[in-house]
Amino acid sequence: MEDLLGMSSLFLQQLVNGLTLGGVYALIAVGYTMVYGVIELINFAHGEIYMLGAFLAYTMVTIFGIPFFAAIPLTIMICACFGILLDFIAYRPLRRAPRLAALITAIGMSIFLQNLALLIWGGQIRSYPRAVLPKAFFQNAFVVGDITMTWLQIFILAVTVVFMFILHLIIHRTQVGTAMRAISQDKVTSALMGISVNRVISFTFAIGSAMGAMAGILVGLYYNAIFPYMGYNAGIKAFAAAVLGGIGSVPGAMLGGGVLGIAEVFGAGYLASEYRDGISYAVMILVILFKPSGLIGKPILEKV
Amino acid sequence: MKTRMSDIPRKWLYLGILILALLLPWLPLGGSSNYLLRILTTATLYMVLALGLNIVPGFNGLLDLGYVGFYGIGAYTAGLLTLHYNVSFWLIVPLAALNGAIWGILLGAPTLRLTGDYFAIVTFGFSELVVLVIRNELWLTRGPMGLPGIAPPSVFGHPLTQDWEYFYLIVFLLLVVLFVVTRLEDSRIGRAWYSIREDEIAAQCSGVNLIQYKVTAFAISAAIGGAGGAFYANWFKFIHPDMFKFWESILILCLVVFGGLGSIVGTMLGALALIPLTELLRIVLPQNLFSARYLIYGVVLVLMMRWRPDGILPFVRYQENKARRAQKRLAPAGSGE
Repeated sequence: MEDLLGMSSLFLQQLVNGLTLGGVYALIAVGYTMVYGVIELINFAHGEIYMLGAFLAYTMVTIFGIPFFAAIPLTIMICACFGILLDFIAYRPLRRAPRLAALITAIGMSIFLQNLALLIWGGQIRSYPRAVLPKAFFQNAFVVGDITMTWLQIFILAVTVVFMFILHLIIHRTQVGTAMRAISQDKVTSALMGISVNRVISFTFAIGSAMGAMAGILVGLYYNAIFPYMGYNAGIKAFAAAVLGGIGSVPGAMLGGGVLGIAEVFGAGYLASEYRDGISYAVMILVILFKPSGLIGKPILEKV
Repeated sequence: MKTRMSDIPRKWLYLGILILALLLPWLPLGGSSNYLLRILTTATLYMVLALGLNIVPGFNGLLDLGYVGFYGIGAYTAGLLTLHYNVSFWLIVPLAALNGAIWGILLGAPTLRLTGDYFAIVTFGFSELVVLVIRNELWLTRGPMGLPGIAPPSVFGHPLTQDWEYFYLIVFLLLVVLFVVTRLEDSRIGRAWYSIREDEIAAQCSGVNLIQYKVTAFAISAAIGGAGGAFYANWFKFIHPDMFKFWESILILCLVVFGGLGSIVGTMLGALALIPLTELLRIVLPQNLFSARYLIYGVVLVLMMRWRPDGILPFVRYQENKARRAQKRLAPAGSGE
């Protein structure tokens, strides 16, 4: 009986950890899915924006001495501008080019940014100095039996929920959100209806990058590790989450992130920890093979 | 009919380049000649790899981010067969190619039904999984300890030891691959691939079996990657999971893009230009920042797609197309166009 209880509390603890992780994946996944929705491009460089978010906040708090909670909005704004810039420099010139060209550009930008960060910040793993963070982050918010939840985990979940809610409002209650949905349906017709397509695409990049930057800061906090290649794994996992939920669908990305985060934590905990990263790749490949439209996505139609 | 005026000088040109290449090891370069020869061998190996990759993004217009997975499969097939069973190198290369092709078919058959972006991401996931398996299945691959002490290949009972011998070996492999690739490009299969690249739906409407041709392309590409891996294992005599990371795929993709997607000559020139550059960067960059060389590859990918989608030397592409057109014109009417 005691053994059973021990099992179930481990189970609940893993569930809590998985949800925290999944929330962050969902934040990143939204960026992929929104960009894919409007321009049908896998923005491989999105993971790098997430990495830049973590690094920019780190630089602000360590070198410029900006308080942590002021650094967050600053980082988000800079990364949003950066997303617009990325689209402007790399993707916009290739809107009419074959898809292969855009994909290669995306992967090129991703590699470029990763190594630029390596040159600027060096390869060693950094972490936010504890002194600048609120002490409560590392204290347990509550302990129920063997299950503990730190304030940091609550902060991460709260931020995720708030950001998702804001995103939902933007997409469904504002004009630009309506325009985004229109473009994802039909770009040409939207343009004919007077929507400034490029401006809306820029806005999409800005929103996606802002969410990605926030996720970068959160993961930097959660794992205590900021390094130039962090965007590589997280980016792919988030993409897997986006695919799992159904690419192009924002609620799908949230669902996918949650499912993947839980799957990863449980897979690593109960099956094989050395294959931790492999779990999301395997989930992604299986979903793409057997249900490419994802859990709640629309079936992909090939347009002639 | 068979003698094509426009082709004769080109043939002599290629023969001249081949003879020059074979003479290279004997140039009096003093102490550094072995070093240069190793760089040249590396560049030639990457020519083979790039020619293999080129089949998928170049001929078919599909982005393959997992090419290095097949390279790794080939290398480990060769390494394990040599270490445990002492199989002859000449048997290993086809076996490694076959193993690559099998995985290519297993991966390609289900995924090539999807759109190009999904295919790219699945191939990426596949190559990551390959590295994870190599790293973690210690009983098979010794994981992060790597596979040391792979026996050198032997030719007529004579084990290869000299750098020039390996150079000749890889040039031989390149010639075989080059033969296969050029023949494929000019064949019915090659034309089907081009039609898929240009317009999939039109190709399908014209009776091209998309899946069949795409899987063929992917399998051949994977086989060439596997063969390249086999050479690498037997040449370097030590393999390690880190050698087959995703970045290798990017490097090879970069060679293809730099030379011009779909251009055989361009792809080889790309390898010849960029691989020595990598070696130069190894000298220039400090040890801990050596991986920052990929910054340059990233920039190359972006700039090439923006301004030179036909490769750094577009005239190479025009020459190739001209030759192909000339050939078509001379072909008798109704000969399977």
